[in-house]
Amino acid sequence: MRHNQLSSINLMLFLFIFPVAVFAQETLTGKTINESTGEAVPFVNVIQKGTSNGTTSDLDGNFSLSVESLPATLVFSYIGYETQERVVTQNSPINVSFVEAAAALDEVVVTGLATSIKRTNSANAVASISAEELIGTTPPPTLDGAFYGKFAGAVVNANSGAPGGGLSIKLRGATSIQGNTQPLYIIDGVYVDNSSIAAGLNTVSAAASGGSASNQDNPTNRIADINPEDIANIEILKGASAAAIYGSGAAAGVVIITTKRGKAGETKFRFSQSMGWTEAINLLGVRDYTEQRVLDSFGEADRAAYVAARDAGTLVDYEDEIYGEKGLINITNFSMSGGSEKTRFFAGVTYNDEDGIVKNTGYEKTSLRLNLDHTPTDFLKLSLSSNFINSSSDRGFFNNDNSGATIGIALTATRPWDALFPNENGIYPDHPNNTSNPLQTRDLVKNNETVNRIIMGGSANLDIYKADNSNLELILRGGLDYYGQKTRALFPKALQGQKLINGGLNGVSVQGDTQNKNYNLSGFLVHNYFTDSNINFRTQLGITREYFDQNTELITATGLVASETNVDQAANTGSDQTRLLQENSGIFAQEEVNYKDMFIATLGVRGDKSSNNGDATELFYYPKASLAVNLNEFEFWNSNSIWNQFKLRVAYGEAGNFPPFGALFTSYDAFSTDGVLGISLVGIRGDANLKSERQKELEFGTDVNFLNGRIGLSATYYVKTVDDLILLADLEPSTGFTRQYVNAGSLENKGIELSLDTRPIVTEDFQWDLGINFFKNKSKITELRVPPFNLGAFGAGLGSFRIEEGKSATQIIGSFPEGLRVVGDAEPDFQMAFNNNLEYKNFQFTMLWQWKQGGENVNLTTLLTDLNQTSHDFDDFGADPDGELPNGQFRPGANASVHTEDASYVRLREVGLYYTIQSETLEAILNGSINSIKLGFSGTNLINIFDYNSYDPEVSNFGGGSIFTGVDVLPFPSSKRFLFNLSVNF
Amino acid sequence: MKTYINKILLLSLVIVSITSCEVQEFSDLNNAEVDAFENNLNRGDLQDLVGGILYSSRLRLGTYFDDTGVLGREYYRFSASDPRFTSDMLGKEDLTLDNNTFYITAPWGSRYRTVKNANLILGFLEGQDLSAQFTEQEITATKGFLKTFIGYELLLNLNLTYQNGIRVDVADENNLGPFLSYDASLSEIRTILEDGASDLESGGSDFPFILSNGFNGFESPSSFLKFNKAISARVAAYQGDDSGTLAFLEDSFLNLSGEDLDTGVYYNFSLDPKDIVNPLFVSIDGITSANSRVAQSSFVTDAESGDNRLGKVVELDAPLSQDGLSGNYAVFRYTSLIDNIPIIRNEELILLYAEANITLNPDEAVNALNIIRESANLNPYTGPTDSESLIDEMLKQRRYSLYAEGHRWIDVRRYNRLDELPIDREGDDVFTQFPIPLTENQ
Repeated sequence: MRHNQLSSINLMLFLFIFPVAVFAQETLTGKTINESTGEAVPFVNVIQKGTSNGTTSDLDGNFSLSVESLPATLVFSYIGYETQERVVTQNSPINVSFVEAAAALDEVVVTGLATSIKRTNSANAVASISAEELIGTTPPPTLDGAFYGKFAGAVVNANSGAPGGGLSIKLRGATSIQGNTQPLYIIDGVYVDNSSIAAGLNTVSAAASGGSASNQDNPTNRIADINPEDIANIEILKGASAAAIYGSGAAAGVVIITTKRGKAGETKFRFSQSMGWTEAINLLGVRDYTEQRVLDSFGEADRAAYVAARDAGTLVDYEDEIYGEKGLINITNFSMSGGSEKTRFFAGVTYNDEDGIVKNTGYEKTSLRLNLDHTPTDFLKLSLSSNFINSSSDRGFFNNDNSGATIGIALTATRPWDALFPNENGIYPDHPNNTSNPLQTRDLVKNNETVNRIIMGGSANLDIYKADNSNLELILRGGLDYYGQKTRALFPKALQGQKLINGGLNGVSVQGDTQNKNYNLSGFLVHNYFTDSNINFRTQLGITREYFDQNTELITATGLVASETNVDQAANTGSDQTRLLQENSGIFAQEEVNYKDMFIATLGVRGDKSSNNGDATELFYYPKASLAVNLNEFEFWNSNSIWNQFKLRVAYGEAGNFPPFGALFTSYDAFSTDGVLGISLVGIRGDANLKSERQKELEFGTDVNFLNGRIGLSATYYVKTVDDLILLADLEPSTGFTRQYVNAGSLENKGIELSLDTRPIVTEDFQWDLGINFFKNKSKITELRVPPFNLGAFGAGLGSFRIEEGKSATQIIGSFPEGLRVVGDAEPDFQMAFNNNLEYKNFQFTMLWQWKQGGENVNLTTLLTDLNQTSHDFDDFGADPDGELPNGQFRPGANASVHTEDASYVRLREVGLYYTIQSETLEAILNGSINSIKLGFSGTNLINIFDYNSYDPEVSNFGGGSIFTGVDVLPFPSSKRFLFNLSVNF
Repeated sequence: MKTYINKILLLSLVIVSITSCEVQEFSDLNNAEVDAFENNLNRGDLQDLVGGILYSSRLRLGTYFDDTGVLGREYYRFSASDPRFTSDMLGKEDLTLDNNTFYITAPWGSRYRTVKNANLILGFLEGQDLSAQFTEQEITATKGFLKTFIGYELLLNLNLTYQNGIRVDVADENNLGPFLSYDASLSEIRTILEDGASDLESGGSDFPFILSNGFNGFESPSSFLKFNKAISARVAAYQGDDSGTLAFLEDSFLNLSGEDLDTGVYYNFSLDPKDIVNPLFVSIDGITSANSRVAQSSFVTDAESGDNRLGKVVELDAPLSQDGLSGNYAVFRYTSLIDNIPIIRNEELILLYAEANITLNPDEAVNALNIIRESANLNPYTGPTDSESLIDEMLKQRRYSLYAEGHRWIDVRRYNRLDELPIDREGDDVFTQFPIPLTENQ
């Protein structure tokens, strides 16, 4: 197809340069229409094969072409559609029905807020993921969980293995130190919220009292609500050069999601069912106890208990008891799509029910979708997307604490001879060595998030004006994302740590309610102008408006009455309210110039105001410019060469990142002292003049494609600087503040992204597709106008991140007698992914390997088990370079370099084996109404290779909000998934 | 067809009109901004601001008391969640105190936060005409209250960093004063307290705010003055100024009676979720080495028999151990989550009185020590009355009377006796002082 286009374009060139007189004998006429919608397809190239004779169809799809004689072969080509040849033997009107090319979605990428461009003309390395890539191999646990290894430039990191997600995605390195690092998500034009709302577990865990005030509750990030089955295509704008048109909120990148829509024609039904289980990928194991070791570590009483339990065979592997469950997974999906030329629909329902690897944890989601398109006239198109989601996740009680209450911390203090099981009356014994009994915590603690969410988007496209060489389109869009989230955490008073006699609070019930409402409105005008000299202009103008409103009320009740959980049935009740309001207003203009597909230049600017800026009336401008040169379109290029594409591209853009909400103010917070209310500073000084961070990105690259598309190679190099970095910098604590928000630095990311798509083997029955991507990023703090400071972990003694001029933004330092020293860097050396797709007749085998090389974690899981002398490798040697002390004795007193561990891994992220039964075989069944049945087995994370002394190198105690992931404090262990899948199309 | 166009144009008109480019500017939606009090401060505001001082003066107190208790070898802090109580703080092997770890940064920052809260109020009081809301005397009394708190909070930080000193002049956050030496800091603190005392003396009969129950008996300017003098007496004692100590004690709430040892000013706590609970309380039932304070064994073995102050520790069924340390006795100084923690109380004043009299009037010193001994169910002191012996006895009584109240480490340091503190684990060190936090950029 590409080859044909190429020749047609060359032919047109030829036509343009050497006009020849054509002696018309037969004038053929006809119309080009879209087979599925029946609409006219304008501007189709019509060429008489083997000649320079050609034309294009007009706006209504009509064409006429004179040929010297019949029969003649006409070639019809248009981007995004299958090219067709027609042999015309007699002169009668020719109707050519176009079928959208299978890869059509892959062929266009977004360049403006309202327009797209064919990929071959794009000046940016825009990544896209098709529905097949997203869910074709195996159903992912959450949408963002399907991004691993699918494209270059994204570091995806799960915060823990808790069911229901909790992931961070960082595009092209560190984009902000203390501001937002998560991309903007836009689904069918709707700005979708991706908050992580804490459930208030700190009352019990006291995690934030040990010198680190970040959110360690590990909540789900709300993009997990989006159902992967509904998605047709995802495009990822990785940095400012592509995302500048999204302006002030786009510095961390933009993920643009398009959901499935109906096509006119026969109604298609699809049913799919996946069932399987999940289990821990890696458990650490139990220390190799001997009588002597027990005596040395725990004393005589424990020795006796150990011997008794050993002799009675009642030693318990509590780690396996807690994490050893197989959680059942059940995913059911049903969808139908179809419609008439005027009205088309897609409707789907998905029910997802997954249990975790710990009892009483799990994730349940129901998602309903209805997408409608209506074309009342040929110049007006209306579309509506609607999605309702109900999700509920039980996340258990994990991660860091300072009270011994979480399951992970409790396990570290647990020895195999401790009696923790409940008696026949269901009474749990108190843990002999810890403030909580992990089995009791697992069985009685409730930590649930429930969300009801509606996402709706609508758009209207109106062709205001159409002429032969120009047209004007008006596009109006609106979107709403509304959800209510309930968090319910219950710590009943029967818990060991809650009993009054043990100094507990006599039960804690924390109820959080969040109302989130985002809506956005926009209007665009798009003008296309085609000149006779083959220079095409596309101008767009637009205004956008976004509103964000989030209100969280958290009620904490302690001292519960009887078995009541209502927060008023309690001795003490406290409440906390957090409101976030933001209004943005933007204008933008963009001009695209295309000279014969040889040069494609774009120039644009966005202006934004936001209530989040220090001055809400100030307009901030974000420019962009790009140029793509398709060398293969040039005349000197041999049209018969093996090169299908040879493109050079360069793009520049700027984008912003807002100050964190509240950073503009220096405020008091309200507290009480034995009934006397008071307001006290909280240690953070705001700055009313804080500016947004500004990212400037320049990327260069080339896309080449040769051997008839058998080999495609894309390479991109980018330099991305972030100025006016917003830092929560240390302030001399004697000021009364320990930190202050300042614009005080710049950072730079340089990186390279390579991707190779090949089809090494194609025979009639067998086909092998191989995709490899590689990327690497290096960050550097190029300027810091405040003294270097530490952040993001538990102090320099144990390893901490440190922001320092001239150093990597993600360096990890430790304190040593001689001072601070770099002990690691969280940034990987590189990441690679290998995606193999093998098809043999009706069998399909897919494998996605992902390799992360380098990047260190601060692993405190090992330290905490060592302190309790329960580490699995306590008595082994290796950690002590002198070989004198066993690991468990050496590590607790050791410096930070011992706690900093290489977090490299190689994983078989996804694997799938399917057999498709085609319609021919199914003719006898149900009168042949079944089109195909696909059966298979798939898995996630089935093979995991890492040399890392905890559950999984992929972890983040502090959630995904910052660039400082990779702190490991007894997380919910990660899991692998095994699924059997069936899908039926009918 | 036309109708469609009209409809669309109407819709776009609506959208454009609501999409007008103006963006609303919000103030802090969730909290009261500091700037808001710079004008029109009213009585309710002042009450809230003073309440904030009561709150922040208790922040990270647990860490302060653990710092002094662990370094002074009164007890060991066992924690499954943080190894540094038994490593850094005891100088395990080569480890030293870090200048950027919670044990110094958290209490240090919290004390200065209270100082800042107080300095902001002083600024509000001076920066506007408040004659409509407050009398002159009320404003003066409030200043005396605030200065007393500033002096006291600075003293707590100086106790930690000792010869490393503190910054005293911190009123202007953009222009901080220098770090002063220990001696200079002490005398500045004394000046601040004396300044506060003179404000309190001319502050009329009532504060324009109420205080928490910990200040019962000290809630008027004249009675609060006695608290101010008691703190000054402690400062003078730290300066080695015996006559000054006695003069301050004279004006304080000192009562030479064994019946009245607990009169004083206290931090108090509640279970209100906006409040904090007593950070030092650990229940004896269910105590584990994951979270406990275990008495250093010599506290029990060094005690004279019958000393009822051993009731501050409780013998356990089985010893608790962690990181090569163990003990049979758990600290039980506080018995519930809402137990008060003393700021200063009469028992300390009697001991300060004894200490100041050791050189000036040894007999009076013995009398005072005997008040303490008697109340502890011990026989009167019969040892020699030379200074050295009386200092020994005084330090011993302070050790038991003020156990786990943040004094032992400071007391032995004042008398250069840190080397006499017990070391239970080979390679451990007794540190003299904490480093100045890294972020002070010294």
